[in-house]
Formats: sequence, C-alpha cells, structure tokens
Amino acid sequence: MDLSLRGFPLVRVFTTMQNFFQILVSGISVGMIYGVIAFGYQLTFATSKTLNFGQGEALTLGALVGLTVVNFLIGMKLGTFAAYLLALPLVFAFGLAQGSVVEWLGVRQAMKTKSEAGWIMATIALGIIFKNLAENIWGKDPLKFPSPLSENPLTIMGVNIRPMEIAIVLGALAMMLAVELFNRRSIYGKAVVATSNDRDAAGLMGINTSLVITFSYALSSLSAALAGVLVAPITLTGASMGAALGLKAFAVAIIGGLSSGMGVVVGGLILGITESLTGFYIDTGYKDVPGLILLLLVLSLKPAGLFGKAAIKKV
Amino acid sequence: MKKTSSKKVWLAAAALSVAMTGASYAQQTIKIGISGPFTGGSAAMGVSMRDGVKLAVQEINKAGGLLGKQVSLVERDDEAKNELGVQIAQELINKEQVVATVGFINTGVSLASQRFYQEAEIPVMNNVATGTLVTQQFKAPDHKFNYVFRNAANDSIQSAMIAEAVKKAGHTKPAIIADSTNYGQLGRADLEKALAANGIKPVAVEKFNIGDTDMTAQALRAKDAGADVVLTYAIGPELAQTVNAVVKLGWKVPVMGSWTLSMASFIDSAGANGEGVMMPQTFIQLPSTPKRKAFIEAYQAAYKVDRIPSPVSAAQGYDSMLLLAAAINQAKSTDGRKIREALENLGTKIEGVVTTYDKPFSATDHEAITSNIPVLGLVKGGRVVPANPADLEGDKALRVKPKA
Repeated sequence: MDLSLRGFPLVRVFTTMQNFFQILVSGISVGMIYGVIAFGYQLTFATSKTLNFGQGEALTLGALVGLTVVNFLIGMKLGTFAAYLLALPLVFAFGLAQGSVVEWLGVRQAMKTKSEAGWIMATIALGIIFKNLAENIWGKDPLKFPSPLSENPLTIMGVNIRPMEIAIVLGALAMMLAVELFNRRSIYGKAVVATSNDRDAAGLMGINTSLVITFSYALSSLSAALAGVLVAPITLTGASMGAALGLKAFAVAIIGGLSSGMGVVVGGLILGITESLTGFYIDTGYKDVPGLILLLLVLSLKPAGLFGKAAIKKV
Repeated sequence: MKKTSSKKVWLAAAALSVAMTGASYAQQTIKIGISGPFTGGSAAMGVSMRDGVKLAVQEINKAGGLLGKQVSLVERDDEAKNELGVQIAQELINKEQVVATVGFINTGVSLASQRFYQEAEIPVMNNVATGTLVTQQFKAPDHKFNYVFRNAANDSIQSAMIAEAVKKAGHTKPAIIADSTNYGQLGRADLEKALAANGIKPVAVEKFNIGDTDMTAQALRAKDAGADVVLTYAIGPELAQTVNAVVKLGWKVPVMGSWTLSMASFIDSAGANGEGVMMPQTFIQLPSTPKRKAFIEAYQAAYKVDRIPSPVSAAQGYDSMLLLAAAINQAKSTDGRKIREALENLGTKIEGVVTTYDKPFSATDHEAITSNIPVLGLVKGGRVVPANPADLEGDKALRVKPKA
C-alpha cells in the first residue's frame, strides 16, 4: 500500500524533492516582486542618496491604473491578454509621471536646502496622500484583476506553476536588464552612472544632475508600477496592497545593499525563498522571522548590505 | 483672564444648545446605532447587515414606529478596526445617545467596543460577530447584568457542525488553515476542540497573515501531512488565496470552513476554484418559508441586486432589529435596563427570517441561535445553495431554538 515503507524509498525521496522545488519556485516568484520594488529604491539612492518611502503606494497606484485600463479595454471587446499588453505602456507612462511628481514635490526642495530628513517626511506624506487618493477613486474594497494568462497551473517536472508566476520572474528580469543596458550603452545612461559616482564632478562636466535625479525617480516609480501589475493578477488589487510589499522591499534593499542593482535582486530572492522555506519546513506562523533575523545580522555585521560598497562619508 | 472666561461662557452656551437640540430630537425619534465595517475586506458582510437592518426599520416605521415614535438609525463605519470601534461606541453612547446598538461583524471589534455599552447599561445586539467569547465577556457571576446579546451562530456551534460533517464524510485527517486575527485563532481553537470531541486530531495546523499573497507553503504542508480535508477559519480575500494555492498544487481535496466561505469576496475572487466548498449557514438565499421569500424580494427590490452580497449578514441584521423592536415595545420604555429585561423575557413570538424566535433569550442565555438552526451550505455556480437540499424542505425549513 504505502510504497515508501515497502522497499520503494525512492518514491519518498522524489516527493520530498518535488516539495522542495515547489516551495523554491513560489519563493522565487515572491522574491522577484520584492526585488523589483527594491530595485526602485536602489535607482534613486544611487543618484541622489535619497529614496521614496511611498514606493508601496507607487505600486498600488500602478496596479489600480492598470486595472482601470484593462477593464476599459476588455469593455471594448478586447481579449484579456491583449488588453493587458496594451495597458502596460500606459501604466509605465503613469509610473514615470508619478515618480517625477514625487521628486518635484518631495525631494528637490529638501536636497536644495541639504536637509537630512526633509525628504523622508515628504515622501512618507506623499505616500499617504496617494493612498487616500486611491481610496477615494477606487474605494477601499479589494478588487479582482483579470488574469492575462491562464489561471490553470502548468506542471513542469512535477512542480506546479501558475503561468503568471513565470511572467512575474520574466517581466522583472526584463525590466532590470533594460535599465542596465540603458545605463551601459546609451549616452543618457552614462550621465546617470556619472551622477551616481560623483554628483558634483558630473555637474562640473556639464551633466544636468537635477534632471538625472528626476529621471531616476520616474524610473523608480515605473518599476514599482510594473511590480504592481505583475503581482495584481495573482492577488487582489486595493488601496492597501502596497503597504506590506513596500516594507518587505525595504528590508530587501537593506539586506542586498542600496548601492548595487544586482544586490537588491539577490536580496529579494534570499528573502522570498527564506520565507517560503521557513513556512514549509519550520512553521507557517514563523514565516517572517528568519528574514528579520537576517536583516538584523546584515545591519550589525555588514551595514552596507551583502553586496554594497561601504562608503566613507567625509565631514 | 477676561478673554478666557468669556470664551468659556461661549463654549458652555454652545454645549448647552447642542445638548438641548439633541434632547429634543431624541424625544421625536428612537435612535438605534449601527456599527459595522462598510469598507475593506469585511465590507460585504457589514453592508448587507446594515441593509437588512434598514429594511426592518422601514417596515417598523411604516407600521407606526415604536411607542408612537419613528425609529432613526445612526450608522458608523468601524472599518473592522478595533480602535475605531471603540471610538464609535463612545460616540454613539455619549454624543448620539442611542437607545441600543446593533451590529459588529468582527469579533475583535465587538470584544473591544461592547464594554462601553455594558458600563452605560445600553443593550447591544451582535448580529454577525461569531467569537464564542462575545456573549461571555460580562456574564454572571462576575457581572450582575449582561447587556450583550447575539443572534448569530457562534464559533462553537459552527465548529461543532464542521467537525460533525468531517466525521460524517469519513475524513480522518483534517488540516486547519486559519488567519492570525482574533477571529481566525479563536475559531481555530474552537475547531480543534470540536474535532477532539469527535476523536479526530488535525494532521496539520497552519497560519497566515492578512494581506499575504502566497499560501503555497501552507497548502503544501497540509498536503504533505496527508490531509484528506482542508478546514478554514479566515475571511474572503485570503480564503480565495488559500483555495487558489490548493488548486495550483493540483490537489483534489474537499474544503470546508466557517460561514465566511459564503462571502461574495471569496466566491467572486476564487471563481471556479471555490466551487464545492462547504460552510454552516443560518440563512441561504432561498424562499423556503413565506417570510424568507418576502425578505429576499424586499431586499432585491430595495437595493437592486439579484444576489445578496452576504445573505447571512442581511438576514441576521434584519432579525436583530425585529428582536430589539419587540423588546422596546414590551418594555414601553427606551431605558436600557428595561429593554434588557424585556429581551430576557420576550412574551411575543417573533417571526424572523432565520427562525421564529420564541423566548430567544433568558437572564443567563444571551444566544438566540442554537446548534439545530444552521444548515450546511455549498458553493455552486457562484452562489450558496444547501449542501443537502432535504435540510430546508417541508417542516424542516423552519428550525427553532428548543425550549429550555
């Protein structure tokens, strides 16, 4: 009856391996979402040494704008997949605009006056305003986001994966790759890199560093908005969906290191996978604990993050 | 000095005029408070409950009101937040001076808020919150009088029904998946107790937080432990995530749980994955008695919907107002103490939607719903239907509380 007890231990080993990979896959897709949001933190930190504490709300707004556009296009008799693809450029444009507004209202003034904490308060305040805006426009109830891909799982080597989970990983990688390519190959990207390395020197070389910083904020909100439309089809959309994710991504940015784009991706994967593995192998009630312990360890042993370069601040 | 004292006089005058208009207004109408979540994850239950109460009030007012006065409702959205519920309780008691309050969807909000009613000696009728503790918070002998009443099936009744259904279906290895709120964890404890009473021990007990997006680990642990049925204690959106994870694993397993599996937010977001799940229901949207038929038609006409978002909440909301109205009529007073006394000794039979109430409460028993009243519901085609249609046929349709 029970094969594992009657001389077929291989069956047991096989299911154990299968479970492990199943958990690994779900950890990777959750971790990728954390990674993309944290990537947004990294983008602005590199150029301006500031970050947007309203990143979670940028994600919420991106997802909700996406929802409205997708529903509108479906209403125009378009298929869900086509509607989703057509909605993406609009969501990106919205993300760019939203990020620019955050920089313009919240960060520029604080940086001009060399205020150490002004931008923190301002971005938190803007985050709250955006959340209230979302509540007023879309209501406080969780809404279902139509899934562009089939909701039936695929079975790959015994592991069940929802197509949307694969899309999350691919979409996140594509976005980060595009930004890296832009930075390395294009003249504008070189301006971004130069500003990241030394803002004063870049300014002396004729680079409009203030424009570069606005651009990095725009790109940062774009990545959050992308994360929003990627995660929305597998969860529900609502004004409060970004809060928990934004906070998790912040932990990821600290673990991976804010100065390295590669670092936040790996940091996201580390957090996502530890959460899933702890949930499965130890206890689902303690899922979040190892991630937080890791966070504390990194802060005390390697404050710049696992992949970060320690910067010496000259006073 | 002079300036502040004149300010004080103005304030006193203003306060007095407010108090006087409040008092004269209170003489014209009988004010009843409603506290419930009208936004957020529990909104479907809160809104249906409120709309049920409103229907009852319209009928009462059309028939001449209570004690010759019209009934007016003071609605407050507690957003399912404990701290907001506490503020609202104080506002309804002190500022609005309500005669009684109906409502509370969330056990946590109920437990945090109702001590203000107890202290003010104003009856509060829990029409949806199911935590077993709710009516026991102020019971004798620690308290001389208990002002907390309920007309919903509490968690110990629901867990007993679920455990019985598990046993009847021949399942021996249940897995419990519950959220980390008061509701989920108190319910999980009740469920474990009820299973133990049937000689069943769960093979896995899993937990998740509100807002979690991925339940793969919980579902896989349950599957790996060899569970033959999944039992849930959580609310709509996360319940949908749970069944989605079960289906994603390609795991064909029956799912049962507390009555929240009938929430529209679960049924709609789980879609096909939610078909076939079972849960205890005090009311199913079916015209199985004339009263139920009239109620469903009135609700559909008043709110222009076909499917009531949460039929159980709507029916219990409606009934809670009928019970309270009968007590006020019997007490011939709006004094909280007299209403409580009347509730504990109701002389008339009240024909409600859920059941016919014949002495539903006594001094020591503040639960109107007993274990024989709810039936098992089943999600089919995006609606809740009876799991065993025979449960609601013929003279079984009307299930009443047994005489003490």
